[in-house]
Amino acid sequence: MSDRIRIVVLLFPAMLIIVVLFFGGLVVGLMRSFNYMPVIGLTEPNLQAYWSVFTDQEFFLSFLLTFHIAFTSTVISSVLAIGAALLLRRRFVGRALVNFLFQLNLTVPHLVGAIGILYLFSQSGSFARLAAEWGMIAGPADFPELIFDPYAIGIIIQYVWKEIPFIGLIVLANMQSIGEDYESVARSLGATRWQAFRYVLLPLLLPGVLSASVMVFAFTFGAYEIPALLGANFPAALPVLAYRKYTDVDLAARPEAMAMAIVIALLSAVMIVIYLRYSRRRIRD
Amino acid sequence: MLGRDGFGIRSFRILSGIFLIVWLVLPLLPLAIWSFAHGWFYPSLLPNQWSLKAWEYALSDTAGVIDSLWLTIGISLAATFLSILVGVPAGRALGMYKFPGKGLVELLILAPVIVPGIAVVLGIHSIFLYIGLNNTVTGVILVHLVPTLPYMILVMSGIFANFEPAYEAQARSLGASAFKTFWYVTLPAIMPGIVVGGLFAFLVSWSQYILTLLIGGGRVVTLPLLLFNFATSGRNDITGAIGMIYILPGAIILLLTARHLSGRSGAVGGFGQI
Amino acid sequence: MTHVSIQSLTKTYPGSSEPSLDNLSLEIASGELAALLGPSGCGKTTTMKMIAGLLEPTSGDVTFDGRSVLRDKPEHRGVVMVFQNYLLFPYMSVAENVGFGLKMRKVNKVEIDNRVNDMLALVKLPGLGKRKPSELSGGQQQRVALARALIVQPKVLLLDEPLSNLDAHLRFEMRDLIRSLQQEMGITTLFVTHDQEEAVVLADKVALILDGRMKQYDSPDVFYKRPVDKATARFFGGQNFLNGNATNGQFKTSFGVLDLPIDCRRGTGTLTFRPENICVTGKTTETNTINAQLVEKIYLGTQTRLKLAVGTEFIHAVVNPAEVENLEQGQRVNIAIPPESLWVLTS
Repeated sequence: MSDRIRIVVLLFPAMLIIVVLFFGGLVVGLMRSFNYMPVIGLTEPNLQAYWSVFTDQEFFLSFLLTFHIAFTSTVISSVLAIGAALLLRRRFVGRALVNFLFQLNLTVPHLVGAIGILYLFSQSGSFARLAAEWGMIAGPADFPELIFDPYAIGIIIQYVWKEIPFIGLIVLANMQSIGEDYESVARSLGATRWQAFRYVLLPLLLPGVLSASVMVFAFTFGAYEIPALLGANFPAALPVLAYRKYTDVDLAARPEAMAMAIVIALLSAVMIVIYLRYSRRRIRD
Repeated sequence: MLGRDGFGIRSFRILSGIFLIVWLVLPLLPLAIWSFAHGWFYPSLLPNQWSLKAWEYALSDTAGVIDSLWLTIGISLAATFLSILVGVPAGRALGMYKFPGKGLVELLILAPVIVPGIAVVLGIHSIFLYIGLNNTVTGVILVHLVPTLPYMILVMSGIFANFEPAYEAQARSLGASAFKTFWYVTLPAIMPGIVVGGLFAFLVSWSQYILTLLIGGGRVVTLPLLLFNFATSGRNDITGAIGMIYILPGAIILLLTARHLSGRSGAVGGFGQI
Repeated sequence: MTHVSIQSLTKTYPGSSEPSLDNLSLEIASGELAALLGPSGCGKTTTMKMIAGLLEPTSGDVTFDGRSVLRDKPEHRGVVMVFQNYLLFPYMSVAENVGFGLKMRKVNKVEIDNRVNDMLALVKLPGLGKRKPSELSGGQQQRVALARALIVQPKVLLLDEPLSNLDAHLRFEMRDLIRSLQQEMGITTLFVTHDQEEAVVLADKVALILDGRMKQYDSPDVFYKRPVDKATARFFGGQNFLNGNATNGQFKTSFGVLDLPIDCRRGTGTLTFRPENICVTGKTTETNTINAQLVEKIYLGTQTRLKLAVGTEFIHAVVNPAEVENLEQGQRVNIAIPPESLWVLTS
């Protein structure tokens, strides 16, 4: 068997599944978003769904909210993850425990984290009770709205909780493979501790941080169950809105749901481009 | 270690370590407490009464939690098995060969890792509508392959990239058949990758929500769907018990594989989706 | 100009029972170029990191001109360390790398540019400032690393295996560059190496560390002529060791008596001499002539190695191939060992 045939045979089943399911789903979604579906007699594609989606204020607000959720969660998680990795790189009492909790946290599904955040931060949750105990609030309504709130604070807290370990472990591994010698050089050339971090370690870590953040951004932009559980009704996060439109009794709303799915896909395509740029750079260095 | 750390820096490090530990455990605590609570109302800091009722209910035959648990295990096992079956050969092709179009193939495999499920599952639902896979366990297993398979391929291509093909040539030249070579030489060498990749693929499938919700159409109720329903219906004690059951496999898998879980291994990439 | 003194320096890493460096003391005079020579893992790099302030010693002291620097932070010590693999910052250009230390000191940009250009000219890399380190050869990277270190005008320069990553023909070029820059700027310099040739070629003085202890600290030629013990002689390629007794300017071996130089110690000991100091004479008139049998002859191109049997002992010699062209294995031959090349070690 020649190498060429062997490669085709090895790859065929996997590519079949990915192309049919993933790209098939994407293409069918794209077609339906253009109201084009020959099987059910729709043969004239049009931009109706996009027109009604883009002129809808709810979509506009929902997009902004989702972008805010994804961007804020990613930035906060990345910054704190770098801090946590700096911490975990040194020996200190309890390092093994933090390391274990980091890994444990990776295996806990987002949904469980979201329920935990709900029980902690809702207006009758543990923190509200603590505030009442200390006499800081008179009743649940006095506690700041962190769940179902317009700024999606609860959702962001959940993502930060879950993504710090994810980015943190990737950054930590990067730090370990970079070693401390580059910083040693910088220190001996006269850089302070902060300068050695700012001008030497951080630029070396950046490609790894960026490729991890891009995965986090794409995930947080497209996740359904967390905003469905912790988010406000209006405006809802884009995946929640798309799901609602898709399952609407009015079947005419389905192309609009597809159009929203395509918007999410396009945004993830941008993320893929960034990911490829930085993951390649990481390999090259 | 770079020089001497001052007292301030050391104390800051210990304080932030403590803060981090508390922060990582905190969201799981109320779930655990709720599962043993009998009535725990505002403004009590701890339950007024402790009880095993939620656990009794969750573990009873009538509640459907156990059925859902077995169903979820079955779906995740099937998705994992299929991912291994299809992903190992593909990983071999990507890890051991250079060929024209390899960049494109890698892009096709990377795309499902980054593009969220919601973006494709609506289209998949439309396809499955015509081949009658919606609302079936088979349909759910197939749709779970979208996140698990690319992940398995990425892990295996990393394993095969470090595999020395000369071992196989040596075995063949010593008279082993192609199958025996695979069974006695290749398989033992790649087994650690299959085990770790498979366990994590299991977790990826285990944590799927929206794919199951849409393709299962409410007929295929896996554990996360059940958990979500209880969480939104205000039955916090039962939610707590199901939540504890739901995170158990992850904890067990972690204990089995902790040393593979450094960020250096490609395996961690899959956790972006759990 | 800075006099560096290392006093009983010891480092035991946490979690390890054996010290990585045990009780090292060393004086490096102002402007001197000293080498720390020893096999891999003997604590050389650890020593440099402690001098640079990148690692804290378990005990002992490091002083510059009599003042302890252990409490100085690395960036204030005036010590620059050049690592073996250069560690140029990969995302910075050559000029940014060289100017790094000045930027950290908040020197203004125009001055940085000027001094970087001067420095690049000094290390013979003019005009390469815009390149990325990955576009340079190993030798060029080494020179950038050197320029990056020298531009901050350190009091003390530390070099980790400065010649070992270079090809043979680049080694002498780099050696000349390091020596000339070091002497011109008068920087007290310490480098570490596992390669005795590198130490001999570059250093004014060599400190040899074996088995975790400093054996000898002398100028390079002394290690060949007057090693302190057998291990030191072996490290420098010594092969001839004859046991016997030194009395009254003579050494009594199992096969006869040899004349010694006047500064040799007396009593039982081991006689050593360099293989390259042996002459194959044919005559019997020279002092210390020995009649030996040729056991083995290995032609190595520019030299020939001989193994000779005298009684129950063997003597190894390295000679010019032309001198022994007609000599056959098994043949007997007269060899002479000049008295001044003999040295007695305590056994």
